[in-house]
Amino acid sequence: MPIHEKSLIRPENLTTHDELVMDGVDVSGHWSTFIETRVVKDYNEDMQEEIAALPGGEHIHRCWQCGSCTNACTVHAINPDFNPRYWIYLIRMGYESELLRDKDIIWQCVSCNKCTYACPRDVFPEGVMKATAHWLEKKGHTEKSPSMHFDEVFTEQIVKTGKIEESRTIRRFFSRTGQALMQPWMIEMVKRMLKGLPVSLLTRMGLATLIAPRTSDWSKASAALEEYIDEQHEKQAQALSLAELVETAKQDVAA
Amino acid sequence: MTTKDKYKKVAYYPGCALEGTGHAYNRSTKAVGKKLGLELVEVKDWNCCGAMEVKNIDPKIQTYLSSRVMSTAANEMDMDVVMAPCNGCYHNLKKAEYDLANDKESAEVVDRLSKKAGHKTYESGQVETIHALDWIKDSIGEEGLAARVKNSLSGIKVANYYGCMYTRPRHIFPEKDQGPGSESTSKPHFMDDLLAAAGAENVDFPLKTACCGGAHTLSDSDTSTKLVLNILKAAKLSGADVIATECPTCHSGLEMHQIRAEKMLGETVDIKILYFTQLLGMALGLKAKKVGVHENVSDSMKFLKEKGLG
Repeated sequence: MPIHEKSLIRPENLTTHDELVMDGVDVSGHWSTFIETRVVKDYNEDMQEEIAALPGGEHIHRCWQCGSCTNACTVHAINPDFNPRYWIYLIRMGYESELLRDKDIIWQCVSCNKCTYACPRDVFPEGVMKATAHWLEKKGHTEKSPSMHFDEVFTEQIVKTGKIEESRTIRRFFSRTGQALMQPWMIEMVKRMLKGLPVSLLTRMGLATLIAPRTSDWSKASAALEEYIDEQHEKQAQALSLAELVETAKQDVAA
Repeated sequence: MTTKDKYKKVAYYPGCALEGTGHAYNRSTKAVGKKLGLELVEVKDWNCCGAMEVKNIDPKIQTYLSSRVMSTAANEMDMDVVMAPCNGCYHNLKKAEYDLANDKESAEVVDRLSKKAGHKTYESGQVETIHALDWIKDSIGEEGLAARVKNSLSGIKVANYYGCMYTRPRHIFPEKDQGPGSESTSKPHFMDDLLAAAGAENVDFPLKTACCGGAHTLSDSDTSTKLVLNILKAAKLSGADVIATECPTCHSGLEMHQIRAEKMLGETVDIKILYFTQLLGMALGLKAKKVGVHENVSDSMKFLKEKGLG
């Protein structure tokens, strides 16, 4: 069965008739499981191009659907719904409504690069997963994922200071995602850490949370990076016609 | 100059994790270097390489961050080899090297950012980036190491865990998969070779390059716990006492999710987790504290004492 027809055999798309007679023949029961006819009209013809315009998505057009990525995928092994090959197919077809069914798990790619290692066409599926997750978020289909929050907290700290101080990053991430820091396993881990640690190291770590480590002479690099990030945001918004979208929405509201 | 001499004095790029959760790796790497007569000169005013997060915002920012480290080593310190023990740093520097040589756009962005930041632009080829494994294997070698062993690791069964970023994606490691003597990206063996030279018994471990879910260790902890549990169980079933690590993200991920699996899923896997440099250091006669065993989250002291180490 061609994979774009997979949706046809989903339970909700099957109809069963307890009593059905066709041309005088009783076809009720098991044999009368019919697939609803349907026509797909809402292809999003821009989807591939938009995802290709985001970092990591550049090479999606190379895919020839061999399935090596899904076969090698770390996340697929623990969740069969996580299927890079299928998503790449849907994106290339412009089958947006199908892709949106999986919108809440695409961000879960762990970047292990097994797909990239296996891919015979250099699609860089890992990058495509990231680009797709960004696309979903930029288009407003999903909230920012926990991973995106983490990436942002992390990047902001580097742009600002040049370095990462882990406990600060962790605290900011937990507060931004509205999670309690005091989770039982976290407490247990800190307890075990404290058991063996010398006082000098604890003091150093404590100090690091107060005075974040910095790369000296970083201010110019920091300014250059901020400028670059703004410029890229602008470019991506343009590629995804986000301004147009906002304008249309505004006019809609006004009307 | 042979590789042997070339790696005797290298620029050392510890990276952020080695100043925090991976401090034991920093301590043990330096201690092993000292014991082996290898000189480490820390990269001046280094910055973060971008870790696993910055590329998700924009891969070219990561390329710039990594290139700045290499630029400092090459242009301000006149070094031609950068050694990074952290898989993440090592991977990112390698990736930057590849991108700068092969992608014009990346090179342009890096040049523009470097000029604005007020330092020389890194040109691909100025330095060679190596991992701590290359550093010891190529400068000392198995024979050299075996000759220096004071406390053999004999009787210790080790599962060598390399993780993702040391071997994938293949194209950023052009020196790997080059036949006998070179590192393999599908079945890496440098850590196995070194620990075997120190007397350890390496078990046949199928998940050497499996993923620990480190990138989402906090943002998708349930997935990471499942992945880590697979690794811990597979190592245990392979007959290992210890999982040897070479990456601070893997190492702290294994330790953290070992506890999380215990607390959240009620699954306890009793296996020790040690940096390969900690095992090597103790084999070279260093005390457990000298290689930071007390800084690990998991407690291996009793086990090491039983084996006559530490």
